[in-house]
Amino acid sequence: MYNLRLSSEQLEIRDTVRDFVEREIKPVCLKAERLEALDRRLPMDLLEEASQLGLRTLALSEERGGAGADALTSCIVTEELAAGDPDIAATLAETSALARTLFDQLMSQGQRDRFLPQFLRDDRYHLAFADREPGNDDTLGVNYHRPETSDTPIKTSAVRAGNVWVIDGVKDCVANAPVAKLIAVRARTGTKGVSTLLVPRETPGLSVREHDPAEGWAHGPCGEVVFKDCRVPAENLLDQELERTDRGGWFQALNLGIGRAAHDAALDYAKLRVQGGRRIIEHQAIGAKLAGIAIRLEVARSIVWQAAWASDHPEAVADRSLADLPHAIIARVFTSEAVYHAVKDAAECFGAMGVMRDMPLQKYVHDALVCLHPGHGASEAKLRIAEALAGYRRHPAPPVRIAESI
Amino acid sequence: MDFSLNEEQRSWQVKARKFALEEIRPISLARDAIPDPREAFDWEIIKKGSRLGFRTMAVPRKWGGQGTDFVTQALVMAELAKADSAISKTFSQCWKWSHLIAAVCTDEQKERFLKPFLADDTFLLGKGISEPNAGSDNRLPPADDPRAGLKLRAERKGDEWILNGEKCFIANASVGKLFFIDARTNPDVPLREGTTMFMVPRDTPGFRIGKVFNKSGWRFYQNGEMIFENARVPHANVVGRANASDMKSQGGDRTGGDIFGDLELAANALGVCEDACEQALAYARTRTQGGKPLFEQQLVQLKLNRMHMLTEALRSFVLRVAWEHDQKMHSTNPGLAMNFSTDVIQEVTELNLEIHCDADGGMDRRADKLVRDSFIWSHLAGDSVQRMKVARRLAK
Repeated sequence: MYNLRLSSEQLEIRDTVRDFVEREIKPVCLKAERLEALDRRLPMDLLEEASQLGLRTLALSEERGGAGADALTSCIVTEELAAGDPDIAATLAETSALARTLFDQLMSQGQRDRFLPQFLRDDRYHLAFADREPGNDDTLGVNYHRPETSDTPIKTSAVRAGNVWVIDGVKDCVANAPVAKLIAVRARTGTKGVSTLLVPRETPGLSVREHDPAEGWAHGPCGEVVFKDCRVPAENLLDQELERTDRGGWFQALNLGIGRAAHDAALDYAKLRVQGGRRIIEHQAIGAKLAGIAIRLEVARSIVWQAAWASDHPEAVADRSLADLPHAIIARVFTSEAVYHAVKDAAECFGAMGVMRDMPLQKYVHDALVCLHPGHGASEAKLRIAEALAGYRRHPAPPVRIAESI
Repeated sequence: MDFSLNEEQRSWQVKARKFALEEIRPISLARDAIPDPREAFDWEIIKKGSRLGFRTMAVPRKWGGQGTDFVTQALVMAELAKADSAISKTFSQCWKWSHLIAAVCTDEQKERFLKPFLADDTFLLGKGISEPNAGSDNRLPPADDPRAGLKLRAERKGDEWILNGEKCFIANASVGKLFFIDARTNPDVPLREGTTMFMVPRDTPGFRIGKVFNKSGWRFYQNGEMIFENARVPHANVVGRANASDMKSQGGDRTGGDIFGDLELAANALGVCEDACEQALAYARTRTQGGKPLFEQQLVQLKLNRMHMLTEALRSFVLRVAWEHDQKMHSTNPGLAMNFSTDVIQEVTELNLEIHCDADGGMDRRADKLVRDSFIWSHLAGDSVQRMKVARRLAK
């Protein structure tokens, strides 16, 4: 059975978020001073309002106080938010995805009791996952289809000292780090290998340095996290390891939202702007360009939704309804290329105004470029797909991954 | 066929390369990063370049310029653009209009304008065509809408013309001393028949510069607003005949104006592509991943191959077009080369960014700048109007 009908809840939440974006986000985020790609402050008030709408806790289960949204619903919400502002969308999506993984899947009852009430109460409580370390390259480009690994081992260490873990090390490019009140950190824990520990933001010995937006190449707040003789109670260790090899599944939905914002802007403009004796949409050259933008976005949305649905319905792969492929990665690669092209074409519809920094189009171009080249081996995504096609298995027993879980 | 450069061409190329490397490149990124677009400009580099002849090299020798040929001009544009595309364009913008002065201005006008231009290292030129509601309409006036196109009005009053209206995106607006301004002298006939070109000095009464546009790329290059409020321009400043701003229709030198502009954008793109290729290759050789140079990866090799293939194809096209200019041959090649340069500069700079971003989480500032600069080609050189315009030349 093939069904693309959204539930009434999904339609309702989409309308609510779209309305919120039109009413609250766009008037703030499309102001000229926020369009400068290199000078973006995170609008904390809007994040708080979004949290009151339930968007910060969207994917957290209903029994634990969230909305229990599935991956498809999360994608729909993220696309809507990103059409207004990708930074807001990324911050909320990261926290929401981590809330589900941490509170619903990984924490013990005791850990939940300690952290969940604060998380639910505080609209400015965000979550971060500190995984990547400086100089820690992705090496699939080197090790494609080769069993040997030259992955740099994790340098951050957690050493047990009585009733506490003492954490030392540096993590970089940590999404949400500047706004997170709870950070899950991967660290080497003696001979046991690698574990994940929960570190509240106010813990002595933990410091966060926000990336200079001028050097930033990310959506949402991002920063370096330094642990220096940072002590957390022994019970902050998670039983299971949290690992993420890919950006979250929400990433391609965010990318799609950027494309849609550009599409909407170009379409509106093409209906208004008169050159050549008629509205420019009435010229074949612009009409075909807009059609091309729409085609790219519609196909991208199909693959994003399919990947989200596949993660909501793992049984669909088991019963051979869907091929056993890394759908999320396929969706991400296709969407990033399709949206970049679409956004460039949309900007071209604006002529010279399309290159101005105080117009939204250059912001969309920049935002789409960040998705196209998010860094850290993005082009390796295709190699990962190729290994999957070949049936090559790199990790025999994958740990819990946010990428696939949302 | 002989692809070799002569002594003079090589010496200009070497001089431009040295100036680009020693003077332009060191300031390029810092200028690009200045938030206020007006402040991104720098007079020092203009003066230094002018003293070496890069501002006036297109003026014929008999009028006191260097009288370089088009191959030399293409080589110099590419060398300068390799260090900074926008700074190269600021210089070549002066060549574009010095071609025009030399070709169609009267001797009296040359005395008044070409001589001060040659004498003053800070004398920059610009041309005003675009207006808020007239961009594509000026390039490709619609047959069925004779009123379309620029609206700036010029009315004769004795020995003067009174100009009213505004221009936007005008090159060198905030720094130029003399502008070639297209104005409607007969609003009731199609653009090409009712437009006159005027030389408007910076200090013309009733003429002022508005804001400088805040572009994403070409930050150094000043594109500004011009406001004319009863601006008074002497009749002696009319370029060519009234109601015939299109120099081609006046039998002016076809290698001036628009057609040089086509070569100009293609040659500038070539320099940017060379920069991207060199950066990417150097990075691939030195940056390691998993202990091995990036260059060892097949995907990186394929990207580098494509970047160089496209760049060398563009180089061939640019030099052929420049040579054809020098032979006084006329064809659609300059336009096609300009269109092609859009596709090439964008793909090549995007691949360079990709090679950098893939290995590093953060962006590389220069790789990012080249992509932003290349975006300018979208509306100047490779938009559908610029492509259809060339196609229509083909069908003529």
